[in-house]
Amino acid sequence: MAQKERRKDGLLARMVALFVATFTISATANSGYAIIAVMRDDFVNKRKWFTEDEMNDYIAIVQSCPGPMAVTSSMVVGYQSAGFLGSFAAVLGVITPPFVVMVLVTVFYEAIVSNPYVGVFMRGMQMGVVAMLLDICIGLFRNATQKSVAYPLAIMVIAFLYVRLTGCSIMWLALGCGVVGAVRALLIKREVEAR
Amino acid sequence: MIDPTLLLRIFVAFVRVGAIAFGGAYAAIPLVEQEVVANEGFMTYPEFMDLLALDEITPGPILINSATFVGMKTAGLPGAFAATLGCILVPCVVAISLLFVFRKYKETTLVKSVVLTLKCMALALIASTMVTLGMNAVVPGGTPADVAHAVYAVTVMFVAFALMHWRKVSPLPVMLGCGVLNVLVSLVVG
Repeated sequence: MAQKERRKDGLLARMVALFVATFTISATANSGYAIIAVMRDDFVNKRKWFTEDEMNDYIAIVQSCPGPMAVTSSMVVGYQSAGFLGSFAAVLGVITPPFVVMVLVTVFYEAIVSNPYVGVFMRGMQMGVVAMLLDICIGLFRNATQKSVAYPLAIMVIAFLYVRLTGCSIMWLALGCGVVGAVRALLIKREVEAR
Repeated sequence: MIDPTLLLRIFVAFVRVGAIAFGGAYAAIPLVEQEVVANEGFMTYPEFMDLLALDEITPGPILINSATFVGMKTAGLPGAFAATLGCILVPCVVAISLLFVFRKYKETTLVKSVVLTLKCMALALIASTMVTLGMNAVVPGGTPADVAHAVYAVTVMFVAFALMHWRKVSPLPVMLGCGVLNVLVSLVVG
């Protein structure tokens, strides 16, 4: 009984931690990638709920989903930390700040847009975002090339060219990557069996 | 009293946007435009341009910002709720389904290979956003090269990267620092 109660406390504490974390992240960062980077810092480096490798797996899952990455990554990280209630707490945390801010902004629209410093501040933050994206790319690259380099590198280059040059939906890219990954798995299996 | 069918139309429009919004915030904007301006006529095009400016200066995911703004303008607070819930519905279901598949089969060759491939795709998508934002920071709005500004932007980005990558500073203070620095520099330079 006592043990059960402790577990319950643990769950509530984790839900509160998730809500506070995603709320803070969402209130201060304005892109999905920023949110992922801050989550990684918070849950991997500080709280140690996940390892770096687990977080990289979640990034891959989230990138294959439609919709705002901040919401889908909150969903995944929340579930992994505290089940469905964790997901709920994390998603609620992530959508509350933009929701409240946007409701207020709609009301005070003119005053905000006419303030020049707001735009200058946001452009400055974008430079920080570029640096952070590079940091995430390096982490993902190391993680993806642990076993071999040629195959991951080829996929990265092809996917990058697809995004930059074709302008087609990312949905087809995600589906294509799924199929290519599955075919590769079959080839590996056949090779293992042939030996 | 707000017409329930209007709320339903807002909800469904954003379910559609959420379900096909692959590839991050910048890919979602044309989808919102199509649903909100062309299909449903919730907004005029100039109003939609206002929305884009607001997205840039407000915190949070762009899709949530857009949904709240459109919902609020069209049908007040109930509209804002309908739009926001609509745009996260499908993404949440897809995310949790993929996570279940991943948890159950993560030790199989098939899932390992698919996840590795998707990871490479994720890297490519992030790199692409990085290039777009980086170009935008170095050469704002594609204007002819202002060398001093370009050098300044590259320096800020490099220092920010060095702080995060080698000194392991949290990304958030670094980004806020970049914002504050930019305001100070604009005050000095004029």
